[in-house]
Amino acid sequence: MTARLSHRFVVIAGRLAVLVVILIGTELGVRYGVLSELFFSSPSQIWKALLTQLSSGSFLTDSGITIFETLLGLFCGSLLGMTVGLVLPQLRFVSNVFEPFLMVLNGIPVIVIAPLFILWLGLGILSKIGISVYIVFFAMFIPVYTGSLRLDTTLVDALQVMGATRLQTFWKVIVPSSLPSVYTGLKIGSGLALIGAVIGEFVASRSGLGHMILYASGTLDTPTLYLGIITLAAFAAILSFTIDALGPVLVPWRFSDEK
Amino acid sequence: MLEFRNVSFSFAGRRGTVEVLHNVSFACKEDEIVAVIGPSGCGKSTLLSLAVGLRQPSGGEVLVDGRPAKGADRRLGMLFQQTTLLPWRSVVENVELGLEIRGEPKAARRRRAMELITQYGLAGFERKFPHALSGGMQKRTALAQTLAAEPTVLLLDEPFAALDAQTRVVIENDVVNICRSGKRTMLLVTHDIAEAISMADRVVVLSRRPATVKEIYEIPLSREAKSVGDVPGMPGFTQYFNRIWHALDISVAGADAAA
Repeated sequence: MTARLSHRFVVIAGRLAVLVVILIGTELGVRYGVLSELFFSSPSQIWKALLTQLSSGSFLTDSGITIFETLLGLFCGSLLGMTVGLVLPQLRFVSNVFEPFLMVLNGIPVIVIAPLFILWLGLGILSKIGISVYIVFFAMFIPVYTGSLRLDTTLVDALQVMGATRLQTFWKVIVPSSLPSVYTGLKIGSGLALIGAVIGEFVASRSGLGHMILYASGTLDTPTLYLGIITLAAFAAILSFTIDALGPVLVPWRFSDEK
Repeated sequence: MLEFRNVSFSFAGRRGTVEVLHNVSFACKEDEIVAVIGPSGCGKSTLLSLAVGLRQPSGGEVLVDGRPAKGADRRLGMLFQQTTLLPWRSVVENVELGLEIRGEPKAARRRRAMELITQYGLAGFERKFPHALSGGMQKRTALAQTLAAEPTVLLLDEPFAALDAQTRVVIENDVVNICRSGKRTMLLVTHDIAEAISMADRVVVLSRRPATVKEIYEIPLSREAKSVGDVPGMPGFTQYFNRIWHALDISVAGADAAA
């Protein structure tokens, strides 16, 4: 037990050390001209950029917009992907007709689809949400759809023998048995939702963190560029931890390993 | 009372029609346990799926209390070979599933489920997920689930095959007692000759595919014995075992080569 504890302690200390080396290294490197100010920013410069942004810039609005686009894209895309993934296998004819189209659509890189969304939905946040929904949809649809094709038919038989209607079987067997796939879809989708939103902002936008990053890059404002990247990284990390924490709520039977 | 009357079953295979069952007729009376035994793949499990309406006979009919069994029938309860407990439901939620499907009010079905849980030695485990239980307890839960719907005819599809030898005898004994005390009809499909002799009043031996009824043996041992575990030690057991073994006419590769 003590060996395991001390091992954990060493790992955490190691991680902190890496962080400190990066922070001090860039701080000193930039200050003494070893690292070019054009390509790197010191932590103190980034901190200054944050303070300037907070007092006079659009940083908070931009962050809020990107977070809003991401969360809405994740929510709508997941809901849509889950619904289609669950209902499609129930309708064999429709499923057979549409499957190749969906698979081809899924194969198109999102970056080439993005301009189309801008064209359809304009420069505002709607097009970014659209792109986000589009890629999250597939991240959710694919695991749920393939999962329900692998459904344990014995469970369906058992319910049928008990006299369940098709609708009862759907809600009591098919939907709950898809929840592990839904969890997988959420995990993949949460990362993609953010990518979708930022790609949309990169292609054409007037606000958002993607816009801020692109603008900072164009004006050679390197500290603000780093500020944008760090903010996105922090948001992505928080989102990922939140989705991980949803596991025991969504699929409690997979997480209770008591014997 | 469950009766198979001239039941045939065939399906369209890759190389034409495959006949699985041919003119199978036998009946299980009230308060009687009948075992069906036959070579692997002869279609003995198909008999059960015909009775519960998972498949339709291509000829003949299945009667429950003199009336044709059509689709899911309240009078029938089935215990499957594989586990059919829903992994996302706790033990008590699984036990009450059949009653829930029938639309019984929550309080009533919960009360009934808890009675059965206590009766079958699952008290204290009602909130656990099935995977946290031993194989024997899972089988008990499935049994309680089937009995909650109060069927008059119990159908068992090799339900004990996966259990260890000791657990198996205990549960076999429980099932025999349930059947004898509740004036129920029971049809057991098995590949285990000893199990058939130990539990059943009659053993129906099916031939190879297309399966017909080859022999029917009346066996008094199960009713005379105090417990299922005592039957193999009773005088007469070996004779019945040998007669059924020869009726099954299973060629053992080694024996053939030696002959």
